Amino acid sequence: MRGRTFKNALMSVLVAAAAVVIIAILVVMIWHIFFSGVRYLNWDFFTKAPAVFGEAGGGVFNAIVGSVLITLVASALGTPFGVFAGIYVAEHEDQRFASAVRLCADALQGVPSIVIGIFGYTFLVARFRSYSALSASIALAFMFIPTTARVTEEVLLLVPSSLKEAAYALGARRSSVVWNISIKSAASGITSGLLTSMARIAGETAPLLFTAFGSRYIEWNMLRPMSALPLQIYIDAGSPYPAQQQQAWSAAFVLILLILLLQYGIRFVISRVLRVKA
Amino acid sequence: MVARQSRGDRRELVRERVFDAVSLTAAVALVATIVLFLLQLFIASKDSRAAFGLPFLWRSEWNPVTEQFGALPMIVGTLITGFGALLVSTPFALGVAIFLADYANRRIAGPVKSLIGLLGGLPSVIFGLWGLFVLVPLVSRFEVWFGHLVGSEALVSAGTTGVGLLSAILLLAIMILPFSASLILESLIVVPAELREGALALGATKWDTIQNIELPYIRRSTVGALVLALGRALGETMAVTMVIGNGIRMPHSLFDPSNTLASAIANQFLEATSPLYISSLIELGLILFVLAILINVAARVILRRGVET
Repeated sequence: MRGRTFKNALMSVLVAAAAVVIIAILVVMIWHIFFSGVRYLNWDFFTKAPAVFGEAGGGVFNAIVGSVLITLVASALGTPFGVFAGIYVAEHEDQRFASAVRLCADALQGVPSIVIGIFGYTFLVARFRSYSALSASIALAFMFIPTTARVTEEVLLLVPSSLKEAAYALGARRSSVVWNISIKSAASGITSGLLTSMARIAGETAPLLFTAFGSRYIEWNMLRPMSALPLQIYIDAGSPYPAQQQQAWSAAFVLILLILLLQYGIRFVISRVLRVKA
Repeated sequence: MVARQSRGDRRELVRERVFDAVSLTAAVALVATIVLFLLQLFIASKDSRAAFGLPFLWRSEWNPVTEQFGALPMIVGTLITGFGALLVSTPFALGVAIFLADYANRRIAGPVKSLIGLLGGLPSVIFGLWGLFVLVPLVSRFEVWFGHLVGSEALVSAGTTGVGLLSAILLLAIMILPFSASLILESLIVVPAELREGALALGATKWDTIQNIELPYIRRSTVGALVLALGRALGETMAVTMVIGNGIRMPHSLFDPSNTLASAIANQFLEATSPLYISSLIELGLILFVLAILINVAARVILRRGVET
């Protein structure tokens, strides 16, 4: 009897200790990233291209532009495929092919990002003999599609079947049921799924290494090499110059802001707007 | 009236067909993507496959100068870091999940869960940055201390950079923890309350209940979650690339610089000039792709069976 209560107390302590260790590590990490990032921030950082190698000053405006452009184009390319694949799986839920599609989406979500990068290189860059932001967007779209498809499917399956059955009973066809009932009632879920997928690809580095390649100039042309925040962080972190390393920390901070904005900020605005309209 | 209705009908029918065709196309495209990846990587690694054949998998020499390539050092590096990270992080992941499900009250559990969620969404390159500038110096100090402890001159002099397998394992362990902890927590939450309450009513202590009721109940889904976490660890690229040291020889100790399949590609692809070198790196990607697909499908099969029973 005493053994059991002792064991109970011991395990409580161990479990709490595990939690404390993990929370401590996570808090320390966030602390480092936040304060190392903020310390070197200034206005130039958001508005200028990088200074000459090794020198202080300059900013990562080129990388901010690149991240936004590459992510937007990738999402625009991936959204129709992802959403419609999700609709297909949700609508043919009980069929064998649909579960094969779902399995493929799951498997694709697990494909390492570097494999996506090397695929992008061999499939696009090597073929067209040029690094380009567009090839990076296409590579990222391959990461965007499976996550979007799975989220869309899950959200659509939450739509009450009584709603859909009522529409079918009125003689509606599948396309109009999906369009007017399912998509409309799942709109906010699908939107937040799209934003989560966007936030995820915005932080990816490996697919950009051999496609977008990086650039020290502010570049707006999608057919040319372009920088992006994760790429800039990777390059600056590997640099021997302290100025570059500081820039890496600040760029990391800006990247986290961008991701949080995508994940929570925009979602908040959208939910406000939708509620006002309704 | 009749004519107008039939025209509307036809238009609706066309819309129906188009809708079906578009959604089927998207679904087929998803399946075709896997085939496309496989084919593209297979074709692009032609030179390497012709030069080394199947022994590429177990040749231990990776030498860009003499153009002798074998994947074994990277496969070993991948397995050591992947399983090492899983070994280090699983007790903590289980601990945190049990803490959140059974011990913490809502005021503590809420913030901890969002903290873990935040960490799970951080980009790999930011983990790498933190690893390189915070974790690696700590590991380096540990290496010197350990070298003095066991009296190894070689370790004190050679292992002081801190980059290598150990740093990679620790960083990966932190990275996969939010993922496996939240999956385990999800399955702990759905343990039926009657089971838990029944055990407690019989006089079981809290830990008795966890050990004899909850853990057996979530066994299968936990295994599935850990296999998924392993898949992530094996394919994790940027963070590992930044702390593993780009070593090309077979590692002899945990302090040695090494490479995983993913980090070798990230570290060396842009430096590779000869077609054979490039194609060998692409073949590493092919191995990694097949490995990742197998692990993910296995995890899904385990998880799906868990739902059925």
